[in-house]
Amino acid sequence: MKKVLCSLEDAAGLAADGDLVTLGGATFNRAPMAFVREIVRQGKTGLNLIDREPAIDFDLLIGAGCVGMVRTGMIAFEIFGMAPNFRRKSKSNDIIVKEGACQPIIAGFRAASMGLPSLPVKGMLGSDLLEIAEIVGGQKLFNDPFTGEEMIAVRAIEPDIAVIHAQKADEYGNVRIEGPIYEDVIKAKASKTVVVTAEEIIPNAEYRKSPELTTLPHFLVDAVVHTPNGAYPCSCCNYYDVDYDHIQEHIHAVVEDRFDAYLQQYVHEERVA
Amino acid sequence: MSGAVEIPDLMIHAMSREIADQDTVLHGVSSPLPVLAMSAARKTHAPDMVYISGAEGVDPEIDRIYPSSFDHRLNRNAVAYFGLHEAFDLAQRGELDVMYLGAAQIDIHGNTNLSVIGSIDDPKVQLPGGAASAFLMPITPKVVIWITRHSARTFVEEVDFVTGQGYDHRSDEHMKNEIVIVSNLAVMNFRNPERKMQIQSYHPGQSVDQIRENTGFDIVMAADVGETPVPELGIIDLINSMDPGNVRQTEFH
Repeated sequence: MKKVLCSLEDAAGLAADGDLVTLGGATFNRAPMAFVREIVRQGKTGLNLIDREPAIDFDLLIGAGCVGMVRTGMIAFEIFGMAPNFRRKSKSNDIIVKEGACQPIIAGFRAASMGLPSLPVKGMLGSDLLEIAEIVGGQKLFNDPFTGEEMIAVRAIEPDIAVIHAQKADEYGNVRIEGPIYEDVIKAKASKTVVVTAEEIIPNAEYRKSPELTTLPHFLVDAVVHTPNGAYPCSCCNYYDVDYDHIQEHIHAVVEDRFDAYLQQYVHEERVA
Repeated sequence: MSGAVEIPDLMIHAMSREIADQDTVLHGVSSPLPVLAMSAARKTHAPDMVYISGAEGVDPEIDRIYPSSFDHRLNRNAVAYFGLHEAFDLAQRGELDVMYLGAAQIDIHGNTNLSVIGSIDDPKVQLPGGAASAFLMPITPKVVIWITRHSARTFVEEVDFVTGQGYDHRSDEHMKNEIVIVSNLAVMNFRNPERKMQIQSYHPGQSVDQIRENTGFDIVMAADVGETPVPELGIIDLINSMDPGNVRQTEFH
């Protein structure tokens, strides 16, 4: 086992301009927000973002000008409405939007995680979503060779980098995720490079006592960063809940045309919470 | 005193009545009404339903709801975690009975649009996306669509973009699967040979004429059309106890 513990700066340095990026968590829960803020500080551009149901993580990157293309099943701020930067920058054509659907996006990750070129999914037939010219995760009709059933095959989606915020990791990259796991294991297996930010770094001996609690073994993980509060303002199960006030502050900053000041305060000066 | 019942509570009650005991039921993102409907069903007429949360808990105890339908506190006292992708696999196996989905537009055939207003190449309005709609709409035995703003702009003759598939965009195999719509005015379905939207019940205080005026196509009536049942006080108390902060009202603003 090799030690992979590093700084947030070095971990974010593993992402290059134009990379295909996916992030762990779902909507306001366990998104790797500290990493996202570091990406903004490093001024990355042209990132292509893909996920099932992201929210403020993608919207912050979009608002900071880091993004070229977005492919999601849905991007919204739950009951607070549209993702505000996504709404603006899709309207002004500053980002390319290629809507997918949840299960096909996951199937693309799964295909990559299994080393397969594609994976079939049911449903989808008759939807205009099949007419969208995909940049990544292409979908094609085919007939199952055994039953003849008409389905779509989804092309493997292999992100250049997946970033996952977890509760616990050791310095070698063994990771424990507590609570819901979402597609984080699939994403880690599918991606070329995997970064884990963790609330706590715990001793390797803990993993050896209870290996069944390990979500990701070290060989899947390229970098670990000790990042307390790393999901804030999103939640981290067993550590803290969503800060819904801050979520609304993000929205207000966009709507009131003061997002640059928001970025200055919460990202560049890191005066979060 | 039917006039005393708030529209969200009427809708939640109507949505919960679509669950049969022992059904396996899933909700998705941005879904305060489905979370309350599923919880109400499990605490009343469907104690043996399987409740799969979009927050990934199985059979959690919902003591209250939050602005995020994926808030991990919605998994309180769950018996297990079951990933959303695993719930989707269940749907592919035909073992997910009921799903709740939204729509920005819906048409006479039940097609839904959550993608764009205008054309996909040059949209007038970019919408958030259909999430699981295109995947689940055709293959799930019952999809309940909730719409809090019933108007001629949401109920349109033809959707601008087919995100979720109505009956004119389905294979023969999937025609048997049911779509039920619960709006702030009425409950609608497609239980007729033409598979066109019909009014099954109008909410107390609404008339069929009012519903027709707010619908952008010629909507027919079910032969047994009637008034939407009003929830008992106990059910309203239950809903209030889970949502003291009135998160459920947010969708109606």
